[in-house]
Amino acid sequence: MRVKAATILLLMILSSTISTANPGGEGDAVRSRDCAGSCHASSSTNGVSSATLSIEFPDEIYAGLLMEIQTSVEGVDVSSNSMSGMAILINSDGAKDLPANDGWEVITDPNGGTNNYVEITDSFSSQNIVTRSWTLRAPPTPGMYDIFLAVQHGSPNGGVAMSGISNLTQVEVSAVPENLPQLAPDWTPTNTRNLGEVTTIKLETLNTDSATVELKIGAEISEIPVEDGEFIIPAAVNPGVVEWRVILTGEGPTQTSPWFRLTAQEPGWEIDETALYLQSIALLLLCAGLVILRRPSGGDYNKNYDNTNYISTESEVEAPQESTSPVGPPLPPEGLPIGWTMEQWQHYGQEHLNKLARGEI
Amino acid sequence: MISAGTLHVIATELTIGMFALSGVAFLLCLLKKGPISREAVAHWALLGGLLATPFAIFTGLNAAPGEGIESPLLANKLILSTVSTGLAIGILIRRKWGGDVDSRHASIGMITVALMLTTAGMGGEYSRNETLLYFVPKETVFLFPIWASILLIVLGIVMLGKSAVEHRR
Repeated sequence: MRVKAATILLLMILSSTISTANPGGEGDAVRSRDCAGSCHASSSTNGVSSATLSIEFPDEIYAGLLMEIQTSVEGVDVSSNSMSGMAILINSDGAKDLPANDGWEVITDPNGGTNNYVEITDSFSSQNIVTRSWTLRAPPTPGMYDIFLAVQHGSPNGGVAMSGISNLTQVEVSAVPENLPQLAPDWTPTNTRNLGEVTTIKLETLNTDSATVELKIGAEISEIPVEDGEFIIPAAVNPGVVEWRVILTGEGPTQTSPWFRLTAQEPGWEIDETALYLQSIALLLLCAGLVILRRPSGGDYNKNYDNTNYISTESEVEAPQESTSPVGPPLPPEGLPIGWTMEQWQHYGQEHLNKLARGEI
Repeated sequence: MISAGTLHVIATELTIGMFALSGVAFLLCLLKKGPISREAVAHWALLGGLLATPFAIFTGLNAAPGEGIESPLLANKLILSTVSTGLAIGILIRRKWGGDVDSRHASIGMITVALMLTTAGMGGEYSRNETLLYFVPKETVFLFPIWASILLIVLGIVMLGKSAVEHRR
């Protein structure tokens, strides 16, 4: 039995495989550069990504204004789930590397969130380039800033967590010219909406006389009228992304905003939490009650404090010991030999009779 | 500083470790094998796991992204963990009141442990998208109407009260 159990256990251990840490991804988040958990394993499970990484910036970047950048991951094979994590960072040290540390703000990440780390599922391969757009708000102070693109992904055969980081890209953030038509510094676009919802977006602008909004669905670009600083994007029928941008005119040079992405998604999963909590309490009480109700039979109630069984068991154990004490052979008709005690007869009586029978006495 | 996620892992490992030990001891009780201390180990480990459970739940709530219950996995985790907690409380009280550790008692103990381990397994699926429990229908939540839950709460309280009164006699 033990050998069988040990064999089964051994087979189970041998059948396990070493896999990359977090193969399902870690989820989009605001995150420093890390190893996706693989640093807890041996060094043989880590590797350097062969991807070519690049970031494209617009020609002019103004302090505190919105801008769009493109990040590209080129020439890399990833694991079978075709997923890669991408992160925008400000240094390659793995600490204090969040864009916010330099004053950058992620307004819209490629997945429609506001994170500096996103997980992208696409056709990554050694022949492909996967490009994604990010909308950022530039730091409020003009100057030169460093930006990096980092990636982490699995290997085609699994088992190795690959990570890589781009070369340093420096960008110049300029002071905002006077009278430049612009979106208000505290204005942020809407990133997501539910299917079937008409979306009204209110623009807040500075130094602007008029605004025109362009809506891009697929390759088609159409104009949307802006009334009292508001415009309406029609409801989406299917999950997907529409892009829009605004062209601002005023006394200063005309400005075109980056393309803002509006992601339509299925409504999130919802549940009546009150009913759920009540049901949980009900099940807790019911289960406890059902188990306790299965009470022991009457005689067993005080079993923990009842030593009767223990005592009777001991008595039963002792009794046979008394009965097995030597009683000796039957006494001869003439009684005990002279000088013997009954105790001696019990122990040595049989030996005495044997000697008598052999004529030795 | 330690993040809520790390704290949750610590609390969960503490809880699951004790529940697992309890499960093994209940299995020995069911098989009537092993040292006589198996009964004490089963119940004390279950008590330890039960005491650690609230820490696991609260750190888990803090570690979960978003607010509220936004996934059927979380809803099922809540239901399973409360069922398991209820069974564990019942088992411990029954034992305290002098109940026999018979095969049925040991089986309920093992079911309690299995439910808690399933709960932990679903947590792994929620956070890492990995699980061994592919066959468990975790995307479906069985939700009673509120009136039914209230009825069950009353029923549970009545059963607990009845047991307590009968125990005093």
